[in-house]
Amino acid sequence: MPQKRRPNPLRAAFTGPHDIGRTPPGWALMGLILLGFLLYPATASAFSATNVAYYLLNIPMALGLSLLWGYGGILSFGQVAFFAVAGYVYGVVAGNMTADPTLGSILGILAGLGAAGLLALIFGYFIFYARVAAWIVPILTLVLALLLSTFLGLTAGSAWKVGDVALGGYNGMNIPSLQIGNFIFQDYAFYYLTVATVVLCFIGLRIRVNSHRGQVLIALREDPLRTELLGYDVRLEQLVAFVIAAVLSGISGLLYVTWGNYITPSVTSLAQASLPVIWVAVGGRDSLFAVMILTFLLNQLTYVLSSAGNQYALIITGVLLVAVMLFAPEGLIPRLIELGRKALRLKEAT
Amino acid sequence: MPDPAKTILHAIGLQKRFGGVVAARDVDFALTEGELRCVIGPNGAGKSTFFALLAGIQPPDAGRIELEGEDITRLKPFQRVRKGLGLTFQTNRTFHAMTLRQNLDTAGRGGEEPAPFRAALTAFGLDRGLDRPVTALAHHERQWLEICMALRGRPSVLLLDEPTAGMSPVETRRTSDVLRELNSGGLSIIVVEHDIAFVRATAQMVTVLHQGAIFAEGTMAEITAREDVRAIYLGKVREETA
Amino acid sequence: MAEIVSLLYQFGTNAAFLLLAALGLIVILGMMNIINLAHGEFMMLGAYAASAAVHRGLPFPLAVLLSAVAVGVFGIVLERLVVRHFYGRELGALVVTWGISLILSQGTLIAFGPFMAPIAIPGGALTVGVYSFSTYWLFLMAICVVLLAGLGWLYKATEFGLQARATMQNAAMARALGIRVERVYMITFGLGSALAGLSGALLAPTTSIAPFMGQQFVAPAFITVVVGGGASVIGGAIGSSSLLSLVETPVSFLMGSFWGSIALLVTALVLIRILPNGVSSLRLRRRTRGARG
Ligand SMILES: Nc1ncnc2c1ncn2[C@@H]1O[C@H](COP(=O)(O)OP(=O)(O)O)[C@@H](O)[C@H]1O
Ligand SMILES: [Mg+2]
Repeated sequence: MPQKRRPNPLRAAFTGPHDIGRTPPGWALMGLILLGFLLYPATASAFSATNVAYYLLNIPMALGLSLLWGYGGILSFGQVAFFAVAGYVYGVVAGNMTADPTLGSILGILAGLGAAGLLALIFGYFIFYARVAAWIVPILTLVLALLLSTFLGLTAGSAWKVGDVALGGYNGMNIPSLQIGNFIFQDYAFYYLTVATVVLCFIGLRIRVNSHRGQVLIALREDPLRTELLGYDVRLEQLVAFVIAAVLSGISGLLYVTWGNYITPSVTSLAQASLPVIWVAVGGRDSLFAVMILTFLLNQLTYVLSSAGNQYALIITGVLLVAVMLFAPEGLIPRLIELGRKALRLKEAT
Repeated sequence: MPDPAKTILHAIGLQKRFGGVVAARDVDFALTEGELRCVIGPNGAGKSTFFALLAGIQPPDAGRIELEGEDITRLKPFQRVRKGLGLTFQTNRTFHAMTLRQNLDTAGRGGEEPAPFRAALTAFGLDRGLDRPVTALAHHERQWLEICMALRGRPSVLLLDEPTAGMSPVETRRTSDVLRELNSGGLSIIVVEHDIAFVRATAQMVTVLHQGAIFAEGTMAEITAREDVRAIYLGKVREETA
Repeated sequence: MAEIVSLLYQFGTNAAFLLLAALGLIVILGMMNIINLAHGEFMMLGAYAASAAVHRGLPFPLAVLLSAVAVGVFGIVLERLVVRHFYGRELGALVVTWGISLILSQGTLIAFGPFMAPIAIPGGALTVGVYSFSTYWLFLMAICVVLLAGLGWLYKATEFGLQARATMQNAAMARALGIRVERVYMITFGLGSALAGLSGALLAPTTSIAPFMGQQFVAPAFITVVVGGGASVIGGAIGSSSLLSLVETPVSFLMGSFWGSIALLVTALVLIRILPNGVSSLRLRRRTRGARG
């Protein structure tokens, strides 16, 4: 009979059906990767660890888009808008509270994530409660990101000072680090903070997609009308997923601004807006694990390419995206796993 | 236990047009609690449209729908389902990317398994191999699974749109048996059907739809005795019966 | 009096801009249910082609036509190579055309550098009272009317139009009737691309020509498409661009062009809440309502 109620959510997160890596070899791989990241600072300079933190900090945003697009069938091109909103709001709040950096950090985090979630709630209400066609959501979220970028570019000058903090237009805004008491999250500490955040986001989302609500999200990707006629408010389910994804983008935004102590309107430009879509599509959108790995690798790749002054970075990622969409639309990692399985089966057969 | 004096589902003056086609014309329809009703009518008579109006998939141009005395005309489809409508589609719409268990869990909305659901699952032989993907099922098993999914959500009225389409006579009979079993347990059911043998074996009362309107209503014997019904539905021309 | 003329002129300018920016996109969406996210880059290519031609001594009108043809051919090549694999997968098509747009804009930057020689705005100015109006924008408004009429003729009066409308309503049925659906799609995509190239060339004199100029068209073009909806190509285009211009013109006039764009987005959000299928569904709705009453 079907109904032994699912035991404990953490167990479901690692054995549930909705991602790769749910058997001992998968766990072993995850454990090894995690161990590698935990031990890495022992052999690396603070500078290298800070760089690696940068490759990691976009993972929450990518995981959010994976939830939304890969699991829920809702494509957003505007995740960077929520990234930017969280970053700017954190900067304004924490920047105005430099007298009490601990409180400033905490309130900044809450306000930043709250603002990202609220924007998603309002924007998503109009989109999802209108039950628009699927292609309208990516278009409107992209427009949101671009208009936000334009707006932030217009905020130069003293008219756009919030308390002590100037938004700074295209010159950008300076932002204080995270600080608890006298402890400042920099270098190795920031690295471990990022690793911990990524791990928590990953496990949290694995729990989510393998829970009942995750099952419903997948159902409405497959057939929204069928799902509604099983008694689910499709609009609400979509809106909730949209807000979760926005808050995850916000988490990446917070990590980003406390990593570089700086933000400019370019974080929500057209080129930046395309990046989360590329990470998720190339990795394999309906696998959180694949998205996490590929986001790390692609961030490293583009960072290395563009810091070498290579103007082909955008072209390479563009070509990669087109090629993957043409030849492995389910994503690189799922395709590799499938090829591996086939090869194994061939070997067994011979 | 069902109260046969109580109307569980009531449609009053339902109207629906698609451009020039009248798909529902002044449909007045009452289902008493614990009834098993068959709705028949030629292709395009408006049977699926009638269900779409009941479920809220289409808004009616005019008219009213009551479920257990409560006006549900303005409710969204998911709200009607939560109030007790369960429904299957004319074309099978189980989730093909999922296993049987996932389909049924999704249908359960996290609630307990109702007894009629368990009974049907066992009677259809679907209680084993729940971790198979839906794609491993034969056509008739998918139809049965969709019935079980509707039952899993604890409906008080079950609406089935041509559940036996494409089934063999044996499978059709088994479907009829299970539906009558469910009905004798108190469940109210409306079935849209084409298969006259199925209707004869299953229905207590039959409603005939024609060009969007209710053309006739009565027991199977009364319906089949009416020549005008035979003319429009049973495909028999007057001369033949004369 | 002069104020009214000025407001009308502003309204016409904004509507013409929205229509030119969106027309190619609307043709492809309406017919094929495909969104070409590289649309802005196609317009950029049109502007580049026009600039190159003008500075090699071609007269501007000829340069514009040449750009339209060149971008149309480019569109057909892209359709054959990439886009046709995404029919029926609208989200996949969006993503892959975005990849193409990245390659096009960055590729143009690498190949031609950050600037392209501008084109002087043709024509002079008309003065009414204290206001003066560019005759070129008046010409663009006229062009919009001509383009719409031409599209109307193409769809209503030609063999291709008949086949295209049959394909749009039911591709499977059209195929069964012997219509070469693949060819209809290819030509439609080419037509949409040519319109993008044409618009890019026509708007080139009004803006600076650069690899990333396509981005300025993204927001207005896509909002126009969202508001227009897919149900009726020409009706949607006219309704949506004039409606949006009606909102944008006073807001831009009072508060600046950024707030004009914001007004566009807010209008789009509110409108889809009321009309999820765009303004082109209004006509259909009225028709069914008429049939009932
Ligand atoms: N969504 C729709 N749009 C336009 N016409 C429809 C729609 N749904 C049904 N119809 C028309 O309404 C009539 C009744 O259809 P339907 O309810 O499916 O009949 P049945 O289920 O009895 O075969 C048919 O003429 C059909 O073409
Ligand atoms: Mg039917």
